[in-house]
Amino acid sequence: MGKIHKWLRSRQGQQAVVIITFSIIPLLLLFVFTYFPFAEMFKFSFYDMKYVGERKFVGLKNYITVFQRDDCFRALWLSLYYMGGAVIQLALALYLATVFCFGIKGGDFFKGCMFFPYLINGIAIGFIFKFFYTRGFVLDTVLGWLGFDLENLPYWLKDTSINNVSLVATSVWKYFGQNMVLFIGAMMSVDSSLYEAAQLDGANKWQQFRYIMLPSIKTIVMLNLIMSITGSLSAFEPPYVIMSGGGNGTATYFVKMHEIAHTNQKVGLASAMAIVLLLIIFVVTILQKLFFAYVFKDAEDEDKNAGKKREKQLAKAMKKQKAREGRA
Amino acid sequence: MKGKKILSLGLTLCMGMSLVACGSSAETTTEGAKTETTTAVETTATETASAETTESGVPSYSEITVGEDYTDLTASIKWMHHKTDREEDGTIAKYIEEFNKVYPNITVQTEGITDYAQTALLRIPTGDWGDIMFIPAVDKDELSTYFMPFDTLEAMDKEINFANAWEYDGLSYGVPYMGNAQGVVYNKAVFEAAGVTELPKTPEEFIAALQAIKDYDSSIIPLYTNYAAGWTMGAWDAYIGIVTEGDNTYFNQKFVHTADPFSDRGDGAGIYNLFKILYDAVALGLTEEDYTTTDWEGCKGMINNGQIGCMVLGSWAYQQMVDAGEHGEDIGYMPFPISVNGVQYANAGADYSYGINVNSSDENKIASLVFVKWMTEESGWCAFEGGYTVDKDGENPELYAAFDSCELLIDEPALSGEETFLNDMNAESELGFNAGGNTKVQAIIEAADQGASFDDIMADWTARWNQAQESLGIEVNN
Repeated sequence: MGKIHKWLRSRQGQQAVVIITFSIIPLLLLFVFTYFPFAEMFKFSFYDMKYVGERKFVGLKNYITVFQRDDCFRALWLSLYYMGGAVIQLALALYLATVFCFGIKGGDFFKGCMFFPYLINGIAIGFIFKFFYTRGFVLDTVLGWLGFDLENLPYWLKDTSINNVSLVATSVWKYFGQNMVLFIGAMMSVDSSLYEAAQLDGANKWQQFRYIMLPSIKTIVMLNLIMSITGSLSAFEPPYVIMSGGGNGTATYFVKMHEIAHTNQKVGLASAMAIVLLLIIFVVTILQKLFFAYVFKDAEDEDKNAGKKREKQLAKAMKKQKAREGRA
Repeated sequence: MKGKKILSLGLTLCMGMSLVACGSSAETTTEGAKTETTTAVETTATETASAETTESGVPSYSEITVGEDYTDLTASIKWMHHKTDREEDGTIAKYIEEFNKVYPNITVQTEGITDYAQTALLRIPTGDWGDIMFIPAVDKDELSTYFMPFDTLEAMDKEINFANAWEYDGLSYGVPYMGNAQGVVYNKAVFEAAGVTELPKTPEEFIAALQAIKDYDSSIIPLYTNYAAGWTMGAWDAYIGIVTEGDNTYFNQKFVHTADPFSDRGDGAGIYNLFKILYDAVALGLTEEDYTTTDWEGCKGMINNGQIGCMVLGSWAYQQMVDAGEHGEDIGYMPFPISVNGVQYANAGADYSYGINVNSSDENKIASLVFVKWMTEESGWCAFEGGYTVDKDGENPELYAAFDSCELLIDEPALSGEETFLNDMNAESELGFNAGGNTKVQAIIEAADQGASFDDIMADWTARWNQAQESLGIEVNN
């Protein structure tokens, strides 16, 4: 008893008490609201079940069904539209961030305008764009001012060759401002003396961007890209709200999953779909990391093992020299 | 020093606990709802076979003559309902005032509840809801636990329509305050101007009428689909059974056992022709230009001022269309244009029904019975709401005039032991008939617009239906 008491009063003991008391609550919340439901969902994916009523263990049948149903994977192809959108969105954000960073009149005002859409609720954005794309409404009117003839314009949401592009545009509109602000934040942290030095050496703006700015903010670029790609795999709001539940060939994987889980009450199958999507996201993220490791290789200041290598080389050279000396 | 430490530790823990408690309380509510349903099921299991006959002191619904019996009865009853709009605009108070002119000693208290469907289910087991309530979604075998039977089904059938809405074991536990019918809401002025003087009775006549409207004035949308609202598409399922087959046992009993419910029998009826109307209308350009951007709120004013010819919606929508503009008198309601062997059928269903607390005192039960019967026969509330008459001798409001020529049926419930079949089939086939299957109807519009085949859709439905029958082991009759 006394021993425990003494331990508790020791520095180590105090540390342990503080760590436990401070972390137990967040950990508990994390467990109760994230890991436990996830484990439950994982369990559900092996059952044939509705929300109420009997549950029947069916093993891997749900997973097999996910891969056999063509509508599940066709929905994943739609993600390519959103991934394309994500790339455009990041390029746009990066470009604008650079422009803002090199200084522009009224920069804060424009920054605010561009960031604003991110603050609007996704459902509200859905309703805004529903009217935006309606025949003869906002978009058609604006294009009319520019000289387009209404007859030649497509039905933005009805025409299946373009409606996914329309939906992706709404999500680009919402998120590029946020990406941009993150980029600006990262760019601001670059030491400005580096630019001055580069300028003195005769580097132009593009070279400054390519060799100073981009390498310095690559972590943020990568983070944004990973988030956007993950986001495009799980796109939900635009098709669900604007296209009233993903009609007309716009049902993404999430919309399909929602329909299977809630309208059709196939909870097991939907859980299996969720797990499959999780695995896909893992794979895609790992692939991206590998890709970036390759792309930014030359941008690294130094290989992590460079020091060791150099020592080895030095040792080798010394040896050689010694040997030569010995011979001599 | 040490005390302070312990105190702060205790405080931290306390705060932590309260946080956790906050977080989990949300869970408990859903849990609570779950346990609620399970206990309800349990009560069913242990349900006593009481209430076989009405108790001695209380007369039955049919034995009471409104305005003559029990006029000197003194009682105070309480009525729980969902019509908060009518509570607020004084309609209910007005009816009670009228009632008290005949029954001066019966006091009626009311409690209007928003979010009624859920609240009522939670209040029922507590018994704390007064003497009369609108029966929420309780299982039928539980009815006798909470409610007093009005009379035998046979006797009630002579008094009111929809007597079987809350029927169990031959006894009737509910009297609807109004009924609804399923048809098509249309603009009379538009139909007349286009030269459609006789209401269409078959799909061909209907399509011809829509075409006539388009030919008359191409700026009018003959049939507005309301594609974008979603649920308005699922509303097409309401016509399966009585309208498409002329059979009130079809939807809840035979449908799940049918091998090919979606094939074209060539008689102009059946589910095939129901959805073929929608397909043809879209394919022939008789619907709105861009279905993806239809606007539910906007359509009410549009049909009111004659920009829309008709919409496929239940009779509940009629009043909203009338109220949406200045031309309310133009709005009409017609039976669905499908005839089975030359007869046009329409289905009607009960809205919320009055139920009387089985545990109330005899006086209160009698007072409640008198009140319900007075509301049904004398108040005129049902007609005021534009409902299909509940009282057998009651007059139907003007909007049902076109229904006089057609056979009105009410869906029979599922056979005992097969109650879950339709839900199971709906889930397994992912078609969701009358159960949120909006996307399948939307797909018909998309197919019609993009030139895909209608027969392929029906073949796909049949395949999914048959597969579901097989995997659920449901017997198939040919």
